[in-house]
Amino acid sequence: MTNKVAIIASNGGLFDAYKVFNIATAAAATEKEVAIFFTFEGLNLIHKQGMQQLPMPEGREHFAEGFAKANVPSIPELVEMAQEMNVKFIGCQMTMDVMGLTKEDFIDGIEVGGAVTFLEFAKEAAPTLTF
Amino acid sequence: MSIKADIKIDCKGLTCPMPIVKTKKAMNDVGNGQILEVQATDKGSIADLKAWSESVGHQYIGSTEEDGVLLHYIRKSGDEHYIEAEKNFEQTITNEELIDRAPEGGIILDVREEAEYAFGHIEGSISIPMGELEERINELNKDQEIFVICRTGTRSDLAAQIIADKGFTKVYNVLPGMNSWCGDLTKKI
Repeated sequence: MTNKVAIIASNGGLFDAYKVFNIATAAAATEKEVAIFFTFEGLNLIHKQGMQQLPMPEGREHFAEGFAKANVPSIPELVEMAQEMNVKFIGCQMTMDVMGLTKEDFIDGIEVGGAVTFLEFAKEAAPTLTF
Repeated sequence: MSIKADIKIDCKGLTCPMPIVKTKKAMNDVGNGQILEVQATDKGSIADLKAWSESVGHQYIGSTEEDGVLLHYIRKSGDEHYIEAEKNFEQTITNEELIDRAPEGGIILDVREEAEYAFGHIEGSISIPMGELEERINELNKDQEIFVICRTGTRSDLAAQIIADKGFTKVYNVLPGMNSWCGDLTKKI
């Protein structure tokens, strides 16, 4: 049985961030080797400033209260936890070029790579998830 | 009643995936064979911690609820899951034979941890966890037959040896153990 979980994060909202990082931290805590490939708007989730204020989907802003009430950890907290548990973050070079971003715009400890970098990891992973 | 645990962690008020993440971290400080108690209010933790334990290879013993707080008990498993440990003690008896012989006298000595015993044991068996056996050996009677049981027969193998070394002769290791027990179970929770 494979011990790898591969995740593609391609959307940049708050809900997307929770889906990505909850699964990633849960998998890492279950002793899986986890890599997340951040591409297009998904790059928001690890952008130094962007990740601090990820948008709620339009018309769903009232969920903010629910998040606070349920005592859900913040995205930066989940990101820190994921990194502590050695979840690998891979930023998509092509998207960064398109958006005019460099590695310095993102949190520390990320790798930058192309599609093949991710595919190489994902070829042995089960499941591979896309958010 | 409260169930004995070696380490307890507080995950009250935390949502998924935090109880799992904290359990995973806490498990690093738990010794092999020891019991971790996870206190949680997340209802999803019942299914999650069970699945987590199975996936990682620990033994999920069970959970109780006290004043709206779920108390989960997990026993850290070392290599015993993967390696069929060698059993050396020569006098053995099968689960089925035990069912026939127990009514004739003798005692069933359950050497699993107190939490494991609490969540399901043979009616009438007595509990002395493996780690307390040497200091509590005087609770046993040399004239009685002693049927030593644990989950898979590994701890009871060691326990039977310890008891025999103290001069007991009517000692039997019960195989395969509680894991395959088909009779009734009594709870103490």
